[in-house]
Amino acid sequence: MQPSEIISVNIWQIVVSLCNLVILFLIVKKFLYKPVCKMLKDRQELLEKQKEEARQNLEEAQSTKQELEKELEDAGQRAEEILAQATAQGQRRQEKITEDARAQADDIVRQAKVQAELVKKQAEAEIKAQIVEVSFTLGEKLIEREIKEEDHHQLIDDFISQIGDDTDEK
Amino acid sequence: MKAWKEGMSKLSDAVITQEKECVKINRGKKFLALDILYIAMMVLPIVTAITLKVLFTPASKGVTITGPLVYFRIPFIIQDFIITESQINSALVIITILGICLYLTHGLSIDPTLKRQHIAEIIVEKAKGLVSGNMGEAFGAFTSFIMAIMALSACSSLLSLFGLFPPTSDMNVVAGWSILVFGIITYYKLKCGPANYLKGFTEPVAILTPINIIGEFATPISMAFRHYGNVLSGVVVSVLVGSALQGLSAMLLSWAPAFIAGIPIFQIGIPAVLSVYFDLFSGLLQAFIFAMLTMLYVSGAFDPEGYLEYKRKKQEKKMKKQKIKNAK
Repeated sequence: MQPSEIISVNIWQIVVSLCNLVILFLIVKKFLYKPVCKMLKDRQELLEKQKEEARQNLEEAQSTKQELEKELEDAGQRAEEILAQATAQGQRRQEKITEDARAQADDIVRQAKVQAELVKKQAEAEIKAQIVEVSFTLGEKLIEREIKEEDHHQLIDDFISQIGDDTDEK
Repeated sequence: MKAWKEGMSKLSDAVITQEKECVKINRGKKFLALDILYIAMMVLPIVTAITLKVLFTPASKGVTITGPLVYFRIPFIIQDFIITESQINSALVIITILGICLYLTHGLSIDPTLKRQHIAEIIVEKAKGLVSGNMGEAFGAFTSFIMAIMALSACSSLLSLFGLFPPTSDMNVVAGWSILVFGIITYYKLKCGPANYLKGFTEPVAILTPINIIGEFATPISMAFRHYGNVLSGVVVSVLVGSALQGLSAMLLSWAPAFIAGIPIFQIGIPAVLSVYFDLFSGLLQAFIFAMLTMLYVSGAFDPEGYLEYKRKKQEKKMKKQKIKNAK
């Protein structure tokens, strides 16, 4: 086993080493470059797919959010409407009640007035009768003389009417 | 809302199934066995090379710097077909690189679960970036070729770290690579048409034709000699310095008894430093330089504008021929 010269040219060695490089090129291409590139491409595709999905989901979520917001707004509006309606109704009812109450009160007052008038008239009549009686007895006793009944009545009536006027005025 | 929920559940299901698959791959016995096979493919060639070296190296007298050992010599046309240490080592390096490639790409998945996948991705992406940066996007197919050149050159040079004969210090090996590169360069130059290729030698002046031809052939020769010379000079310097240190230590310890004088004290640490420079740094640098020069020469050889023009002229000629045929 002898070592060769340090600088020696052998064509077949050159050819073999050239083939070696070509073989290694094919090995690297088949076993390292292509699988890794394929994997990277797959990953890129997956990422893009996921991104697309995420974008779609986001869009959906946004549209849903908008819908919900719109619904919320509508609900608020409706609530306001209902509130306004209720307020108006309440006011109306209140007014009606007040009116009714007022009417009733007026009625009561009127009735009371009529009754009072009636009572007053009755009382007047009673008082008149009593006064006539009293004054008659009084007059008999005071004057102690016989007076014509007609004159007497005249006198008392005058007197009473005067009194009535006075009470009316008061 | 419903669709969104469905989408989310689908996505989570997909993730879970993927994770399960990954776990399955990791725990498979077959996977482990293949891993061991690939690691053996990486390690065994180097062990084989060391064994061969130990078995067949003849005892040398004094300081000798020799070429590769010749294992077989087969008579053949032109020259004997010889299988030398450099051929064997190159083949073993190729097996090692094949083992590394298989190991790195083993268990490749979209969701990286293995650390080696990151290494494989980094290697491929860096190589892609280097090639597209130096040659342009059009030469993307050259990525694996450049990777192969770099790997073969670097690993061959690094064999000297194990005390083996680096195939790159054999001129024939590097000459083969540079001839291949020269072939690629010429192929790209010929793409603009043979006439244009020949015309290129007479530019800028016709008198410079011989110099241009010399320059053309200087490219592969310079590439081969640069790489080979650098690695070989590293080997030579290492051997010289080693023997010099041996002599120095023997001289300094000459007063001592024989068993002490035999200890080469200077040879303990200094050759390691030299080895770091010549074997590691220089080897990797030469691999990088060889790959860079390949990229620059190949991308420089191709003239896209000339190529387009040549194609257009060819098409015109075809059209004219067809017209003539039609007229007939």
